[in-house]
Amino acid sequence: MERQCLVKWDMSSSSREDAIAELLEKFSFQRTTKELLQTALETRETAQPTIVHEGIAMPHCRSILVDDFMIALGRSRRGIPWPDDIVSVIILFITPVKPTGPSEHMELIKHLAQTLRSGGAEDILAAGSPSEAASILKFIYEGKIPNE
Amino acid sequence: MNKELEKLISLHDLDVMISDLANNDINKQEKKLGLSPDSAVKELRKMRAELASTIDRKHRDMYDRLAGHYGNAVVPVVNLRCSGCLTQLPTAFFASQNRNDQVETCPSCGRFIYWCD
Repeated sequence: MERQCLVKWDMSSSSREDAIAELLEKFSFQRTTKELLQTALETRETAQPTIVHEGIAMPHCRSILVDDFMIALGRSRRGIPWPDDIVSVIILFITPVKPTGPSEHMELIKHLAQTLRSGGAEDILAAGSPSEAASILKFIYEGKIPNE
Repeated sequence: MNKELEKLISLHDLDVMISDLANNDINKQEKKLGLSPDSAVKELRKMRAELASTIDRKHRDMYDRLAGHYGNAVVPVVNLRCSGCLTQLPTAFFASQNRNDQVETCPSCGRFIYWCD
């Protein structure tokens, strides 16, 4: 899965909304785009929190506001209320809406489901550095291809 | 950005979210992640209805017609073209200093258009 990801290793947020905003800050979106993406991600979380494993949340959506995959990993030492659970790892992604349909979005979800279910969830919770966390999910971090 | 345009973009992304979760393959993968996409869809439909009710009737009807006809009612302008029908937009569209400050539609296909930041 050769997708670039950004990492915020020591998150300072103490709420779900702030955590999403903190990760969106990693991207160079204009203010309105950021606000609309924040709304979309919060809407999904309000409908159903995306807790995919104890301690791991995965806010995600597809949007016409992005033209490429936007992936950010976040880690919080003290944990973030989500809001009924506490998460320490966040895998946030936004994928573009393409005329070809949601196949790439589905492939990314499938990749994450397989990785997290095959020990990746425990590994990423125990990861000691941003590059290690990215590598567990087989994402490219700072130009480094996993297992290169 | 015009508030009505913001709502139309949000409505579009909400429709995409609902359609994705109803997609069999995505639904299956979300369940593998321990999520409950079916109950999420129910909640999202309620939220969609709430959002739609705040949109001007004329725009909402247009949105529904366009979404029903094309599958997508809101598209970005890319390389001076409507990315829905790929028609080059008239120069008058680019003369404005206040892009996105009003709800605009593609003169060819009628979709709502917005300029990327």
